[in-house]
Amino acid sequence: MADLSNDPITLEIIQNSLQATADEMFAAMKKTSMSSIIYEVLDMGTGIMDADGELASSGAGIPAFIGVLDKAVKVFIAKYDKPGDIKPGDVFATNDPYYGGVTHLNDIVVGMPVFADGRIIAWTANIAHNSDVGGMAPGSLSGEATEIFQEGIRLPAIKIISEGEPIRSVMDIIKVNSRMPDVLEGDVWAAIASVRVGDRRLREIAAKYGAETFENAMTSFMDFGENVSRKALADLPKGTFELSEEQDDGRIFNVKITIGDDEFTVDLRDNPDQADNPVNTSRDGVMVACQMIFKSLTDAHSPANGGSFRPINLLTREGSVFHAREPAPIGFYYEIELRVYDIMWRCLAPHMPDRLAAGHFASVCGTFIGGIHPDTGRQYTIIEPQLGGWGASRESDGNSAVFCGFHGETYNCPAEINEARNGLYVDRMELNMEPGGEGKHTGGRGIVMDYRVRADNGFLTVGYTRSKFPAWAVDGGREGSPNYVEFRPHGGEPERFAFVSGLTTKRDDVIRVVTGNGGGLGDPKERDPDAVRKDVKNGLISPQRAKEVYGLEV
Amino acid sequence: MSSKSIRVATDVGGTFTDLVCFETDLETGQSSVRTAKSDTTPPDFEKGVLNVLKKGDVDSSTVNFLAHGTTVVINALTERKGVRVGLITTEGFRDTLEIARGNRPDFFNLHYQKPEPFVPRYLRRELPGRMTYRGEERAPLDLAGLPAILDDFRKESVEAIAVCFLHSYANPAHEKAAVEEIQRLWPETAVVASHQITREWREYERTNTAVLSAYVQPVAERYLQRLSDGLKGDGYRGSMYVMQSNCGVDSLEAVSRIPITMVESGPASGFWGAAELGKLIGEPNVLALDIGGTTAKCSLIENGQVKIMTDYWIERDRTSAGYPIMVPVVDLVEIGNGGGSIAWVDDFGKLHVGPQSAGAVPGPAAYGKGGTEATATDANIWLGRINADYFCGGEVETDMDATRSAIEAVGEKLGTDADEAARGIVRIANNNMVNALKLVSLNRGFDPRDFTLVAFGGGGGMHAAALAHELGVKKVVIPAGAPVFSAWGMMMSDLRRDYFVTRLVDLNADGVGQLEAVFAETEALARDQFAAEHVDPAKVKFLRFGKFRYQNQEHTTEVLLEAGELTPERVAAIEADFHETYEREYTYRLDAPVEVVGIHLVASAEVGKLTMTREELGEADATSAQKATRKVDFALEGVHDAAIYNGDLLRPGMAFDGPAVVEDSGTTIVVHPGDKVTCDGYGNIHIEIRT
Repeated sequence: MADLSNDPITLEIIQNSLQATADEMFAAMKKTSMSSIIYEVLDMGTGIMDADGELASSGAGIPAFIGVLDKAVKVFIAKYDKPGDIKPGDVFATNDPYYGGVTHLNDIVVGMPVFADGRIIAWTANIAHNSDVGGMAPGSLSGEATEIFQEGIRLPAIKIISEGEPIRSVMDIIKVNSRMPDVLEGDVWAAIASVRVGDRRLREIAAKYGAETFENAMTSFMDFGENVSRKALADLPKGTFELSEEQDDGRIFNVKITIGDDEFTVDLRDNPDQADNPVNTSRDGVMVACQMIFKSLTDAHSPANGGSFRPINLLTREGSVFHAREPAPIGFYYEIELRVYDIMWRCLAPHMPDRLAAGHFASVCGTFIGGIHPDTGRQYTIIEPQLGGWGASRESDGNSAVFCGFHGETYNCPAEINEARNGLYVDRMELNMEPGGEGKHTGGRGIVMDYRVRADNGFLTVGYTRSKFPAWAVDGGREGSPNYVEFRPHGGEPERFAFVSGLTTKRDDVIRVVTGNGGGLGDPKERDPDAVRKDVKNGLISPQRAKEVYGLEV
Repeated sequence: MSSKSIRVATDVGGTFTDLVCFETDLETGQSSVRTAKSDTTPPDFEKGVLNVLKKGDVDSSTVNFLAHGTTVVINALTERKGVRVGLITTEGFRDTLEIARGNRPDFFNLHYQKPEPFVPRYLRRELPGRMTYRGEERAPLDLAGLPAILDDFRKESVEAIAVCFLHSYANPAHEKAAVEEIQRLWPETAVVASHQITREWREYERTNTAVLSAYVQPVAERYLQRLSDGLKGDGYRGSMYVMQSNCGVDSLEAVSRIPITMVESGPASGFWGAAELGKLIGEPNVLALDIGGTTAKCSLIENGQVKIMTDYWIERDRTSAGYPIMVPVVDLVEIGNGGGSIAWVDDFGKLHVGPQSAGAVPGPAAYGKGGTEATATDANIWLGRINADYFCGGEVETDMDATRSAIEAVGEKLGTDADEAARGIVRIANNNMVNALKLVSLNRGFDPRDFTLVAFGGGGGMHAAALAHELGVKKVVIPAGAPVFSAWGMMMSDLRRDYFVTRLVDLNADGVGQLEAVFAETEALARDQFAAEHVDPAKVKFLRFGKFRYQNQEHTTEVLLEAGELTPERVAAIEADFHETYEREYTYRLDAPVEVVGIHLVASAEVGKLTMTREELGEADATSAQKATRKVDFALEGVHDAAIYNGDLLRPGMAFDGPAVVEDSGTTIVVHPGDKVTCDGYGNIHIEIRT
């Protein structure tokens, strides 16, 4: 057979197989996991790294997890640097942002080296949100935490399987630290199954084409990713753009973005010191936010890999909210990542209006509800992000009821499954009719969902942002509406929250989740009258409001 | 009275309407087969069916059994040619259809457009009333608002109504009451409730299924009526059966009421045919591959059983969330890769094939109908795999200049000559199909090396051997009549219904008791339905599957339950079967409690299924069928002088070795160097793959 080690078609075939393998790993994890946040919400990701830990290919899932796995694998490689430290069949794990874990302790990254010709040719890895990893509160997330130690067990880039054999004592320690030990064990094994599937498939590819050809394929794939990014970067407007924005909690966040011919520089150094509550993020986490916005601006459709992100230059200050130092708590890191993502978006939107729409509800709206299932007597924990409204663009109205920019191929939980599994009632799940997001093009609608609790002694924890300052508008449109939870205790007065930890719930209390409408674009008076009439017919606005806002008699 | 039995199957595809007709002499048992193709005739598809019967010289008055497959439902959906639907749902949930599941598959794309619901908000209405997940009534159904809703629907020219209430899978009483009242108040309108189609949970999926069924129902019913009238006009006196997505056929009456079940009617019959063929030739484990003009579809058959699932979506891909249809559909993977798929080079010099297709017009460049872009077919002609002098059975004169310039244009962008470009196109197209085959095998825990590849459709024979080499498959079978194999499959099909019912219980003595009750109830329902169609209840056969998982998991693993009553004594054996099936698919097992989420019951009865006769094997020498030798490019295996055989002259027992090509009017089979070919007693071609 001819030498195919640099044959472009052969390399392309291997690259397609990398993509297929990452997808297969994803499917294996999804089908075997035990937490609804993994199997239904798909708060997880899979990927394939090269021997140096550079991301070669990623599976479906959520964009915010695409750039996590490479950072974790690089820490495994750096920590296990002696000959013989890493053997075929080994599996490693980390969940600690101070040890390559990037996000928060609930997210366990599992990685496995792939060997061919006696050397490591790749890594397969997987990340997923685990329902409970210990710590001070059920679900491990609490707004009260002041140190990372209160947020769960820390796995500082450790080996959990040695040459195929689980290290029993390590597995036992992980399991016993959870309030839901069986679920945690099931989910860790699901992750192991997923990286093993990937390992087997990659070894087959390497055996077929040769390890060297396999490595060439990965390298050329990343070079391809870089070329795509650089070509698109050339089309972006050049210059330095700045934005300051007040947050719900009063902090002012600042961003400065400089777009040059070969570099996309994000400067976040001028920002507040890290907080002593869990609204900080690691530098790696901020890098992921930069990668997401950069990928969306350059080429949203081609696969993302390490090469795609090479033009990014990120500047942070250690000890700041965007570059937290151990042992700062980081439980709600995702809201901070989203804030960075959103201020970068808002900073650039006026300068590239065809690429960037008005602001969206821009919060994960993480909602944690737990208690005892009244029919089975078993403990249940709901951990879910919420759907909300997206901003209007130059072409069209924004989407209603989709997950925020942090999430992607993520699914909400059906009311029927929620009621059966968690033993509460979902009284309603409908579009949010609050005002907000009007414009020539309107923002999409958020949702209103009522959970009715069926048993006493449950709890509620939430952490929403964009609750005080809703989604921002563009070109004279109106801003969206806020994200919040309205707690309606049985026989008591409703109370509104954006952040609450461990609130006790009783039978017949109603937890109303309200997510925001996206921002509008353009003067409402310029909206197509037919579109306004349609909105009225569909009951999205009243004839009165149509007159008030759009100046149209319907 | 005639001593012949005549069975006919017709399959309406995107481009052609196919016919297979078997005539069996009841005294001698000898049968003869005829096939025909004629143009599909949108929008009056029934005309194409009547035409192909004429073309195939079939006298409708003599036909004993007639099966029909059609794309009328999927066309009405994808072309948005259904009727205006009104939806009635549970209070607080009118927006379920629009909220959908909230996912953004194209997640870096900030301009993602969520699929538009099939019913706009003003036609989505609510009624008070609630069931619990256990099927208990929590709040009674209040129909007081219904007359006003129906008045509004009338004013808005609604033609069909869908009803879906929360937890109707557990207790359909409210849906039944609403449907009865709608029929009383507005007897002329079409109405369907979700429980009539599915008894599984997930309200968005079930609502959308009911809505899409209502959307196509009047269209499908009119079509089936016109077809039935046309056949009767031609003298047909028997019952007509319609191919379903679950690989069974169903009666015209049943399908007219719930037409959504025929959404994948065409592919299903091909896969069923592959399963039946496998049983006939002693190959129960089959990877089935159907390569047409614009797409390739594949499915896995284990131990003679097709896999039926209810996780089916239309218009769903990497860029769109699509729409769910929760009906039993054969587990298939479809990719935009067929003979007409266009090869293109992106801005970064990477070669792709499909999913855009040159279609029938202009078609591949070689058709000479103005196509300028290179397709997979053009590459196959360029490499000598398709005979340029016998293109489409000699019906089309090959435009070699057009093919040359199309392939050269691809080569120019790649920086290679035309030969390299053509090889690249074939290799990329093959790789796309290999990945699809991996999805139905490796991705489901099956090793393709344990399966026989059965390839059909116009392009099946062209690519099958190369795919087998790539996947390590040891044997390929190209069935007789491969280009019209879907119609053949219908002929082999039973009257079959799949029932999926959600019922969450623990796997223990009490749980199996509850399961037995659900099975018994569902089997009684099935017998009643068959009896209403004059099928003897004693002839109805059942297969019982349980859907199992470890406690706390969500996704289930389906396990076949042995026949017989479910008793507490069987719990241990059932649990052991589950652990084993689970471990094969996912590499590990857990010491955790096992739950049952529901049942899958297959009810079937034979309705005039064809029995094949096998011819005696003759001489192995195949030289009498060889018509030429020509140079064929086998891509990585190089250029070889290949023996060219006339497929029409191959007889049972004949054998020869690759490199070779078998040609007949409908298909081309490429045999790679070292592969061994034998012809069996049914006219199928077996290729043993060189290892």
